[in-house]
Amino acid sequence: MSKEEFLTRLRSALAGLPQNEVNERIAFYGEMIDDRMEKGVSENDAVAAIGSVEEIASQIIAEIPITKIVKEKIKPNRSLHTWEIILIILSFPLWFPLLVAAFAVLLSLYIVVWSLIISLWAVEISLWAAALACIAVSPVGFIHGNIFFGLMLLGCGLFIAGISIFLFFGCVAASKGTVKLTKKIAVGIKSMFIKKES
Amino acid sequence: MDIQLKRGLLDVCVLAAIKNEDSYGYKIIKDMKPYIELSESTLYTILKRLEIANMLTVRTAEHDGRLRKYYRITDAGLRRIEEFKSEWKEVISIYQFVVREDSHE
Repeated sequence: MSKEEFLTRLRSALAGLPQNEVNERIAFYGEMIDDRMEKGVSENDAVAAIGSVEEIASQIIAEIPITKIVKEKIKPNRSLHTWEIILIILSFPLWFPLLVAAFAVLLSLYIVVWSLIISLWAVEISLWAAALACIAVSPVGFIHGNIFFGLMLLGCGLFIAGISIFLFFGCVAASKGTVKLTKKIAVGIKSMFIKKES
Repeated sequence: MDIQLKRGLLDVCVLAAIKNEDSYGYKIIKDMKPYIELSESTLYTILKRLEIANMLTVRTAEHDGRLRKYYRITDAGLRRIEEFKSEWKEVISIYQFVVREDSHE
């Protein structure tokens, strides 16, 4: 890929970010490529050494706070007319609840996901408690001469303990996956704001 | 390595790279390469952070018919390096404690 092509692609991937920020990044990467070429590296290799456009863009997007992106997005290209400002103020009872509702929906989605994880862990903990209780109570059966009852309790306890060991790995994987997913969603929401502009 | 720890370390590394003379992006990466690999994107973030913290200043100068940004360390940046050196003694003694525990097992 040529330097020009790389920078053009990076610019379009970052469209929607504050313009001065994009220019600064483009200048920075351009300088890096030029300096490599000056040291005798071919243009193709110099561009390849920087990395892929997609990787760089997603790293940049992940670093920039969402408030900055939204601010840039809602910033009007011209100053508002008086009647527009009045309209915005008057329609406050309309758009404010909508905004709150949008945030509430996002928040509740987040809570739903995490309550699933919490309930998984609750099941895991209660299984352990049940297993321990069964094993602890089983000697009572033996002492009272009811060997079958004792054996059954012991067997159940061991069985439940086995299941909960399996479930433990599931719980850990689900928790890790959820953390990853929420991070991905955050980047996704950010790039929604960015991509639309290009 | 722990991200928070690495972040602080890289900041000091970049300051050390511009400590003796003004430097530019590619040279900083090249100078650090024998010790630690740094990607362009990471360097950009670090330079920005150090600039905001007033630990370095940036100037643009012409080089070979194009523009290049040069970074110069400030007094605050030099102080950060000194701070790091004294902090590091603490880190080394923690390290030695950890290693000592290992050899007892």
